[in-house]
Amino acid sequence: MQRGLLSPYRHATSVVHALPAGAKLGVALACILLLVMLPRTAWLAYLGVALGLLAVAIASRVPLRQLLLRLALMEPFVLGVALLALLGPDGTRVFAGMLVKSTLCLGVMVLLTATTRFSDLLAVLWRLRVPALLVTTLALMHRYVFVLLEEMERMRRARRSRTFRADRVAAWRGSAQVAGQLFIRTSERAERVYLAMCARGWKHG
Amino acid sequence: MTLEVAGLVYRYPDGHEALRGLSFAIADGERVALIGPNGAGKSTLLLHLNGLLPDAPPSQPAVRVGGLPVTAANLAEVRRRVGLLFQDPDDQLFCASVWEDVAFGPQQLGVAEPELSARVAAVLRQVGLPGFEERLPHHLSRGEKRRVCLAGLLACDARILVLDEPTSDLDPRGRRELMALLKTLPVTQLIATHDLEFVVEMCPRAIVLDGGVLVADGPTRQLLNDEALMLAHGLERPHILRHSHPH
Amino acid sequence: MHIPDGFLDLRTAATAAALAATGVAVALRELRRHLPPRRVPLVGLSAAFIFAAQMLNFPVAAGTSGHLVGGVLVAALLGPAAAVVVMTAVLVLQCLMFADGGVTALGANILNMGIVAPAAGYAIFAATRRLGGGSLRATLLATGFAAWCSIVIAALACAAELAASGTVAWSQALPAMCGVHMLIGFGEAVISMLIIAVVARARPELLTAGAAPHIAQRATLAYGLLATLGLVAFLAPVASSMPDGLERVAERLGFAGRAVADRAAPFQDYSVGVWPADSAMLSLVVAGCIGALAAFAAAWSLARMLAPAAARPARR
Repeated sequence: MQRGLLSPYRHATSVVHALPAGAKLGVALACILLLVMLPRTAWLAYLGVALGLLAVAIASRVPLRQLLLRLALMEPFVLGVALLALLGPDGTRVFAGMLVKSTLCLGVMVLLTATTRFSDLLAVLWRLRVPALLVTTLALMHRYVFVLLEEMERMRRARRSRTFRADRVAAWRGSAQVAGQLFIRTSERAERVYLAMCARGWKHG
Repeated sequence: MTLEVAGLVYRYPDGHEALRGLSFAIADGERVALIGPNGAGKSTLLLHLNGLLPDAPPSQPAVRVGGLPVTAANLAEVRRRVGLLFQDPDDQLFCASVWEDVAFGPQQLGVAEPELSARVAAVLRQVGLPGFEERLPHHLSRGEKRRVCLAGLLACDARILVLDEPTSDLDPRGRRELMALLKTLPVTQLIATHDLEFVVEMCPRAIVLDGGVLVADGPTRQLLNDEALMLAHGLERPHILRHSHPH
Repeated sequence: MHIPDGFLDLRTAATAAALAATGVAVALRELRRHLPPRRVPLVGLSAAFIFAAQMLNFPVAAGTSGHLVGGVLVAALLGPAAAVVVMTAVLVLQCLMFADGGVTALGANILNMGIVAPAAGYAIFAATRRLGGGSLRATLLATGFAAWCSIVIAALACAAELAASGTVAWSQALPAMCGVHMLIGFGEAVISMLIIAVVARARPELLTAGAAPHIAQRATLAYGLLATLGLVAFLAPVASSMPDGLERVAERLGFAGRAVADRAAPFQDYSVGVWPADSAMLSLVVAGCIGALAAFAAAWSLARMLAPAAARPARR
């Protein structure tokens, strides 16, 4: 189902999954910082990092194919920015170096997101004293993203069954209707969530 | 725990009168059904029972929970005593995991570890979902979500359970499981529902609400057998009564 | 417009992160002061809404579709402070759950799409709306025009960050980014307007941005100022290094000697030939102005279509 594809987290019993989220985030950040600081054409260092990532990927017991798929999905964005570099002086070497560096960084994030639950990362942010209002927002967003996506899908299906024109105008109007209705329903739901939170003694502030 | 409502009136901000002078009382341990057509004011009434409505609780409230008047000062205690189960479990299950959601209420009440986890485990067992602590809400079935919400209310030691259409979107198995669960809970229960078969089976007493007015209050079989009464208020005589023979 | 890791140097990434953190802190403080508790869950659920809405397809041509970003949309619905928090939340989710946008670049992405876009966008929205008289048509026009501007401004900031990191030359980043996003901006404008029209027709009371004028005034000024300062902070060093970037290009293309010689003479005229890229910059500014006018005109005509002046009884 769409939902499964959507969330990159892949559950498995592995050493990597069992590590605390804070530690994983810290290591990932350190890795990426290291990569960023390396000179653009530090090919040997890149190779070392790549091998390291592969080792962690294997240890995580997440099927390599899924990790690579995820990487491939996000790669076009890396390519897009790297292509801009082709325009400048010394284009090809700069482009290649940038591409490898950025792809390796992406690999680190793909591994992190595949082995770490978002809610665990939120707990880390909470411990790091990120303001309560922001953490509450992140938590509620995360909780209701899938609920809203399902609602949206139901509305899209309903709309598609009543759309007999295949043109763009109808498509734009239809999508805008869905979005507008979704916001209205979301506002109403937010009101009910507020009541539910109060009903269980929520002390805001 | 007892529940008393005396002359409850409520008017929406746009002036529409939703409740026009309701009065009834529920004894400790009773299970009462609240029935009526759509728009009768059932959900509005339920929101008054734990002080969510009106926005500014009056100094002379119409609702008393176990003798305690529902005033602004008593809201926290009232909400502990009265557990309100919302119609859409997704509205009520707003935390990231089952454990967090069930623990939410007790945490607000000041319960700390290790009692907190013990309580969560105990209520999850009580509702028939042992070991569900780490499950994520959007992976649960509707019936399971409902039961997690119930667990959250029981974890606060609610003495009165108020349920808004609890069987409305459950499959037959979910419905049977919920009914079996409710039978095991000794607390006072007020259940707003369209499910008349459920009412006959579960609730000895029924209250009929229509247009914000309490039109009938009495033994379930007597009320639901009264075809004229039922039809007059957007209901009907349930099949279970049509085809049973009095014995 | 999510910048991946590896394209921003640490100095730029850190500066952007610091600016972003400040902006988010200001927005949070504003919300804590003025947001009634009743609306706290709405912020979180609106973030979920924006995330979902960003997935909607708006087909453009031959299999490609446009997508909503939503900065001005959510600012029009919830106000600028909430919009900053909502967009920030969405960006954090995209980074930490979907690896969309780098984690070192998160500060920059939040600055561009989470602060500059909604804040500057809201300032333009509020001003345009007030100038237009506050009617539904004025609101729609303001939404569309502000949405276009927000996309272009975010692209500008993005280009500035890339150039400041030495990833791409300013003279290439700017036209490439801004040029493309001037087109994309039209999509954002139309989509935002259509959605606001749906909400306005069904539930006009949900368009609260205009309902709290005292918040709007102060917040608009504060955010407008913050956004401008942020941009200036970026553009100043980049602009000052601009000659260096251009000189590098100039050297390669053989114009170096000529550029050095001409720099001694004061700017007398802007005709082609002083600095090759200077006329390109000028034409870009001109293109920007034309784009803005076109966006305004397009928003105005669509607003007229969506909110005809003749009073029509509300359709049920």
